[in-house]
Amino acid sequence: MTPLSRRELLRSAVLAGIALPALSACATPAGDGAVSPAPAAGATSAANPLGLAEDRPLEIWIFDGGFGDAYAKEIHEPMLKAKYPKLEIRHNATQEIAKTLQPRFAGGDPPEFVNNSGANAMDFGALVQDGQLTDLTPLYAAPSWDDPAVPVRDTIDSAAIELGSYDGTPYVLNYVNTVWGIWYSQKLFDAEGWQVPTTWEEFTALCETIKKSGRAAPFTYAGRHPYYIYEAILTLAAKVGGKDVLKNIDNLQDGAWTAEPVKQAATAFAELGAKYLLQGTAGLDHVQTQTAQNKGQVAMLPCGSWLENEQKDTTPADFGYAMFPLPDLTASDAMPYGTLHVQPGEEYVVPARSANPRAGLEYMRAMLSRQGAGDFMELVSTLTVVKDAGRGRTLKPGLASASRAREAAGDNTVWFLFRKWYAELHDEVAAASGQLMNGKLTVDEWAERAQRKADAIKDDSSVKKFTR
Amino acid sequence: MAGAVIVRGRAHAREERRRRLGPLSALTHVALLVWAVLVIVPIVWTFLASVKSEDEIFGDAWSLPAFPRFDNWARAWEQAHVGQYMVNSVVVVAFSTFGTMLFGSMAAYVLARYRFRGNRAIYLLFVSGLAFPVYLALTPLFFVVQNMGRVPVVGPFIGLNTHGGLVLVYIAYSLPFTVFFLAAFFRTLPGAVAEAAFVDGASHTRVFFQVMLPMARPGIVSVTVFNILGQWNQYQLPLVLLTSAKDKWVLTQGIADISTAAGYDADWSALFAALSMAILPMLIVYTLFQSQIQKGLTAGALK
Amino acid sequence: MRHGRTRFVAGFLAVPVALYVIYVIAPYAQAFHIAFTDWRGVNADPRFVGTENFERLLADDVFWRAVGHNLLLLVLLPLLTIVIALFFAFLLNAGGTGGAGGVRGSRFYRVVFFFPQVLAVAVVAVLFQQVFRPDRSGMLNAPLIAMGLEPVGFLSDTDVALWSILGVLVWQAVGFYVVLFSAGIASIPRELFEAAAIDGASGPPMFFRVTLPLLWDTVQVGWIYLGILALDVFAIVWVMTAEQGGPDHSTTVMAAEIYRNAFEYFKFGYACAMGVVLFFFTIGFAALALRLSRRERIEF
Repeated sequence: MTPLSRRELLRSAVLAGIALPALSACATPAGDGAVSPAPAAGATSAANPLGLAEDRPLEIWIFDGGFGDAYAKEIHEPMLKAKYPKLEIRHNATQEIAKTLQPRFAGGDPPEFVNNSGANAMDFGALVQDGQLTDLTPLYAAPSWDDPAVPVRDTIDSAAIELGSYDGTPYVLNYVNTVWGIWYSQKLFDAEGWQVPTTWEEFTALCETIKKSGRAAPFTYAGRHPYYIYEAILTLAAKVGGKDVLKNIDNLQDGAWTAEPVKQAATAFAELGAKYLLQGTAGLDHVQTQTAQNKGQVAMLPCGSWLENEQKDTTPADFGYAMFPLPDLTASDAMPYGTLHVQPGEEYVVPARSANPRAGLEYMRAMLSRQGAGDFMELVSTLTVVKDAGRGRTLKPGLASASRAREAAGDNTVWFLFRKWYAELHDEVAAASGQLMNGKLTVDEWAERAQRKADAIKDDSSVKKFTR
Repeated sequence: MAGAVIVRGRAHAREERRRRLGPLSALTHVALLVWAVLVIVPIVWTFLASVKSEDEIFGDAWSLPAFPRFDNWARAWEQAHVGQYMVNSVVVVAFSTFGTMLFGSMAAYVLARYRFRGNRAIYLLFVSGLAFPVYLALTPLFFVVQNMGRVPVVGPFIGLNTHGGLVLVYIAYSLPFTVFFLAAFFRTLPGAVAEAAFVDGASHTRVFFQVMLPMARPGIVSVTVFNILGQWNQYQLPLVLLTSAKDKWVLTQGIADISTAAGYDADWSALFAALSMAILPMLIVYTLFQSQIQKGLTAGALK
Repeated sequence: MRHGRTRFVAGFLAVPVALYVIYVIAPYAQAFHIAFTDWRGVNADPRFVGTENFERLLADDVFWRAVGHNLLLLVLLPLLTIVIALFFAFLLNAGGTGGAGGVRGSRFYRVVFFFPQVLAVAVVAVLFQQVFRPDRSGMLNAPLIAMGLEPVGFLSDTDVALWSILGVLVWQAVGFYVVLFSAGIASIPRELFEAAAIDGASGPPMFFRVTLPLLWDTVQVGWIYLGILALDVFAIVWVMTAEQGGPDHSTTVMAAEIYRNAFEYFKFGYACAMGVVLFFFTIGFAALALRLSRRERIEF
């Protein structure tokens, strides 16, 4: 039986390969596009600038994830209720947005307001293509909650609007803000008399001091996830060469990666990698490096403003999280000291085919008020896209530090989108950056590899291109 | 005479062997012991780490825990949802192995013992699946299952992110080996008992379930062991088919996730506890049924 | 006896064949079709692009590195596993002379060696991720650091990572083949060993002249199984390594690239083209293996 069966098995495999393509006929999903209808405007007034209809209910769906849903129940919904006592607000929370709401979108009966987040979120591109989302332009043009003279647009990070736009039309509100920087323990710095550096020479000198002190390793990053280091490289590159450096990279411009500012920034970090890294960094992940910092084994690491919250269980009580922006690399950096990488996230939408979309927009306006955003910050420990919302609030030290840095940065904020647009490019840059930090790639090789990948994506007709 | 020679030869050979292997014997044991240590130590080390504190885990790898912290296990069970994942795995594998054995043995039986037009073609269709890399089918499979979710009435139970869908896929992908092996087994069974049953007026279905299936018991047991292990340890298929429903995840997915994404909780001791929880039941079940399992698996490989 | 025969046959085959065609055959058939399109899975219909995906594949460095890693594993995984397993099977069976029971404790060893086999690959991957940790909390690096040596970047050094993968694969596979080969040795009639012993053979010569030739068929089966295992490596790479196939693509394999391109980049057409290549590798390997194994079997 043995030899026969095995040989036959092969012959039949070949037969099946030839005979079966005829069967291939059942795997293409359908989908048809439609143009998004403009939300029917009710009567507008100074008190009700978006023309919300008070006699129709407002149905709200919150993603019950890391932020919970208390912020909606306890902060934003009461604000709206206070302003429109007759408005009926129906609050809902779920961990499975798509499963719960997709049928209602399909049936033309979606709710007025959806926090489309989490692993089970609906696909934004498909929603936009389907005309399912309300154009948020009227919201951003409306007077802000706190000051009728200032439109909403001017009270929030411009990145938030840009990131929520599809082909130039804003459909998605990104509410939560993330800022990146170099994080340290205020307690450790105070105890050792170490000063926050503002220039690269000061930074390397500080690393030298820390190294010599033997107190801790100077620097580390999540070696298993080199995104953490290329994020810093690119932010520094933008600081040196201006916002267009990252814009060119996002737009897959020729030579965007081999541009001088990018190489300068990479050179600076490669030197850091060669001299000042915590032993074993390349094999450690974010949790391991961050825990090492909590234990005082390493002084500084680059990360986003979620860090304090992420580490809350391992951080000593008096650790004193704080962050500083990337130091000046040259005396002639295009952007001033304090420039930050700021990236909005956590998405909210107003379904276009809901019964009362204007109420959804008005709810967003309440969220974007100083009270709405400030209370949110305190409750869930994160920054929002609303400018200066943290002022005068009692925030945890790390969050307060990030909030101050964000305020100080003003309009000097940079961001990049290729990570979301072209996952392949992100993977390649991450892989190459890890090797750059290990000293296995030179700066030129690193830049060339990133550029080659960007060029390949540009030439790949199957990949949809985005520009900003 | 000849017998006496063999007997004497046998005794002589045994004597010879003992004599020649004498000095080798110690080395033999050292070699075997080294590999046993290589196998056992990482597992025991994991069990030890599962009752260490976070500090101890990040400290020297070879240090012992000051005292065992079994609350790590409680946390892994509850907060890391290992309990949930394990229940999911048990449910999925119970249904899929049962389905695999039922449908597999039915198909194998008919293909092995009935002559009809197309028999050979269907048999070859099944066994050809043994040679296909599952990764080729992965992408279309995702969409097939997605489309099955749109079938009226049953759709919600067999689409993406459902246990029903995963069970059906497990069954389908286990059929090649199951049919291949069991058909061979059914072919070797004597036909007399079945003939007698037919004469007594039993139907084909009854003969299968009451006569042939019990006779095929050893083969059924082997393939069942093979399928349970294979499906329990499956990682690739659930990764594709259960992506966005974390509450439906099976154990392998859960463990892999705890080690990567869920590192956000920074709960390292719970990771080791979860890992131990995934290992321990398998080792216990295996040790209890080890000779059966070894026989089942190797029989599968030898056919 | 003829009564209801057709209905019975059809009834018994209906469900298994339907399941098999829907979930196995149809996807495989579709994969060949999708490989010639630029399908990205969302709404739009796939567009036929001819051999464009395959042309792009030819220039894809990462994919060819993956192929190279698979081929390396294809050679080394069976080789190492079989040599080690044969060695232990030989020792366990008292020098391969077919003696009942073999060395003392052979039952214990057989049980223990088999442990890794019953663990899920994903679980083994997480386990070794911890064993390989780069600092003194790693099981292997702790003693190195204690001795004042540089820790080894088992998973973080691009020159080492693939060997770590191979090590884990061998660690997991050996037990199964020890048991398999032991069963093979046990089924060899003892008279053959004794006859050889009378002729003066024992120890290693006995192994090479008697045991191994009689076991050759089983070894070949093992070789095919391990070869297919090497071509199908996925979970260990995906779960254990940084950047899922890294660092810097140093451990990536075909299956990982297929998964990445399909479910992370949504390049379904391209991923299917990779799948087609893997398909021909697998079929090619199996055909080669069968051709090489078509030598005379020794009957006993």
